[in-house]
Amino acid sequence: MSRSVEGTLEQPLELPPRTENKDLLGLYKDWQRRKKMVRKNRAWILGIIFLAVVWSWYATEFTLLYLISGAGNIAAFIATDLFPPDLSSIPMFIGPALETLYMSYAGMVISVAISLILAFLIARNMKFHPIISFICRSIVTFLRAVPALVWGIILVSAIGLGPFAGMVAVALSGVGILGKAFSDIVEEIDMDQVGAVKATGANWFQVVGQSVWPQFKSGFVGWSLYKLDLNIREAAVLGMVGAGGIGIVLERSISLFQYQEAAMGILMIFALILLVEFTTAKIRERIL
Amino acid sequence: MSEMKQEKNRTTKNLIITVAAVFFFFSLFQLDVISETFLASFDGLLGITSTMFPPTLDEPIDIFGAAVESLQVAIMGTVFGILFSILLAAFAARNLAPHWSISYAVKTFAAFVRAVPALIWALLFIVAVGLGPTPRILALAVNSIGMLVKIYAESIEEIDESVLDAVKATGASKFQVIMQGVVPMLLSTFISWSVFRFDINIRYAAVLGVVGAGGIGWELVRASRMLAYDQMLAITLVIFGMILAVEMLTRFMKDRVIQVNAKASS
Amino acid sequence: MAETVLELRDVKKVFSDGTEALKGITSTVKKGELVSIIGSSGAGKSTLLRSINRLNDPTGGEILFQGKNILSFKRRDLRQYRRHMGMIFQGYNLVKRSSVIQNVLHGRLGYMNTLSGGFGHFSKEDSFYALEVLSRVGLKDQAFKRADELSGGQQQRVGIARAIAQNPDILLADEPIASLDPNSSWNVMNYLKQISKEDEITTIVNLHQVDFAREFADRIIGVKAGEIVFDGPPAHLTERKTQMIYTT
Ligand SMILES: Nc1ncnc2c1ncn2[C@@H]1O[C@H](COP(=O)(O)OP(=O)(O)OP(=O)(O)O)[C@@H](O)[C@H]1O
Ligand SMILES: [Mg+2]
Repeated sequence: MSRSVEGTLEQPLELPPRTENKDLLGLYKDWQRRKKMVRKNRAWILGIIFLAVVWSWYATEFTLLYLISGAGNIAAFIATDLFPPDLSSIPMFIGPALETLYMSYAGMVISVAISLILAFLIARNMKFHPIISFICRSIVTFLRAVPALVWGIILVSAIGLGPFAGMVAVALSGVGILGKAFSDIVEEIDMDQVGAVKATGANWFQVVGQSVWPQFKSGFVGWSLYKLDLNIREAAVLGMVGAGGIGIVLERSISLFQYQEAAMGILMIFALILLVEFTTAKIRERIL
Repeated sequence: MSEMKQEKNRTTKNLIITVAAVFFFFSLFQLDVISETFLASFDGLLGITSTMFPPTLDEPIDIFGAAVESLQVAIMGTVFGILFSILLAAFAARNLAPHWSISYAVKTFAAFVRAVPALIWALLFIVAVGLGPTPRILALAVNSIGMLVKIYAESIEEIDESVLDAVKATGASKFQVIMQGVVPMLLSTFISWSVFRFDINIRYAAVLGVVGAGGIGWELVRASRMLAYDQMLAITLVIFGMILAVEMLTRFMKDRVIQVNAKASS
Repeated sequence: MAETVLELRDVKKVFSDGTEALKGITSTVKKGELVSIIGSSGAGKSTLLRSINRLNDPTGGEILFQGKNILSFKRRDLRQYRRHMGMIFQGYNLVKRSSVIQNVLHGRLGYMNTLSGGFGHFSKEDSFYALEVLSRVGLKDQAFKRADELSGGQQQRVGIARAIAQNPDILLADEPIASLDPNSSWNVMNYLKQISKEDEITTIVNLHQVDFAREFADRIIGVKAGEIVFDGPPAHLTERKTQMIYTT
């Protein structure tokens, strides 16, 4: 141990000489210049945000009073109208709640399947025809930017009320999110590893199974389950525009002023979300 | 021993996969997808697609006005969501809360708020405060709080106390320790999550109007009730454009900050 | 004989969970001295050092600095006292997202009023001083980088610069080289030694490595289970005494 000290002692180290003020002046000026650059940028961005807020505040005629009255009103509303939740309405919600679950799940599986294909078409390192890639990428971007509820409204008026519209809506928004996520994962695949397996003379299935899938797996499972979590939330409200599931019953209760019934519906949605999140968390643990 | 464990792991995996597959077909069956209604609806979809083109806007100014209003609602909802989240996060973070029970209470409150979808909050607020942009702003703010309080509190809990010790040891006052030690540690996480939340809120703002007259979501519902498919497509495109434009703007600002900071520290 | 700068009288520390970390430490430290505290893990070295600048509050005894018992200091007095004490940590403890120069300037916070310090309005003199200190530890060219972009050895030198920027009477270093490779360790210890000699700053260093203590310290204090069991020049630290310090 003591050798290490002696060993390094042979290269004695002097403190650098105290720097002349002239040098420091240059350094100081450089520093001020950098600070100014950051400050200027920050001022710009804060300015934009400030203007946007002022503009919105003015246009929406919002007053701070609304915050207080809003909080007060909602608290009063929850306390007097929502409470106590109408337990006798539970049976009424069970069927639709299950329907919501089916919609979310089936929608998720369909979007996973479609996204898988799109992901490989989009990923740059897969080197598909650039025009095909571009078209697929645009589709995914479009699907991602349009909320599921918008798809719900369109589909309900196109193919009628019911859970099928909801399932398709959830699947479409799913392709938007998963298509991008999966293609990002594919782009990060280490092609050297793939090449190495290929070089052993493996066939296509072996190459995918041995080198592509192991790199793809955890991201794939993680994002799919995450999408299921999201779907439950989306599907729960899709019913409000007629696209099946628990939302339909909830919407009806509210428009009939049956608030205690509605409260039970909200609690059911709450429970459903927690249940699904719990399950996906467990599966994530097991599979990864 | 480990082989047995592996074997067991593989069995659970296979089990999960089988259950997943079976549940998928069961769901499809429950949703009545495998029946003639499915095929009928498919026909309907094809028929309608043709009437969607060309997309039209009857009163274009109105649509754009509605889109702008949705944007304003998103901005207001995000601002108040962020402000209240910061306030609440200070009480939710274990290392800052006056008492652990307060931290627990705030976190539970946030978890509950988070689990109720934004659209339901909008419905509740409409009943509680009436129509107009206000209930939507409040719904977005509340929904944001559910998420941001958790995130902010977690990053406050991850603060490295030993670094604060070091700043304290220089003789810095409490305020100085917070401004020079705590703030730089939290700022970038806070900002990136707030921006992320804004991107979410702009999407919600576009659809919250569905449940109560207002914003571009309402215009879409109105068009759908009239079965004006060409208008619906046009409105959808406007929503798409709005969301994309906002996303591009936030990304541009983010990139710029990163760029300038990199240049200033190189 | 040089004057005494710090005097510990029967300093005790019992943590709230009942751990008796210090069981009555009595010692004096002279101006310009480089004292190294050694002892096995859990002996109470960090607790002792952190008691000196009141990062933790001793539960008994007295610590005298410039004739005053600093254990009675509150707020203002404590702040003013702390700026006489520069501290260097094993984990560097820099504000990672702030720039190197900003971290060094933190050493000036104790001299500034709360607001201007909080908002980081450092005066031109302070800035120059920080830049000078930074060039003394050889990091002039890294001044504007983010602190976490530097290597471990460089970060520790920033830590030293921050402490020096305080213009302290005493430097407290808690295992400053425990996370560094031998070469950087030697480097950092050398900086500490030279600064303490050039500026006549009293330095108290906790060390795990006995041979580093022997190499650099004027005086070694061995701590075992919260008590001083050795106090003397490196030459007096025999192999047997070292073993005595480290066996429990
Ligand atoms: N905050 C605390 N609360 C309770 N006990 C503590 C606390 N900090 C330290 N201790 C205890 O005090 C004793 C001395 O700890 P200290 O950190 O001073 O040891 P050390 O000599 O610095 O050890 P090391 O070489 O591992 O850093 C140990 O038994 C430790 O467990
Ligand atoms: Mg220690």
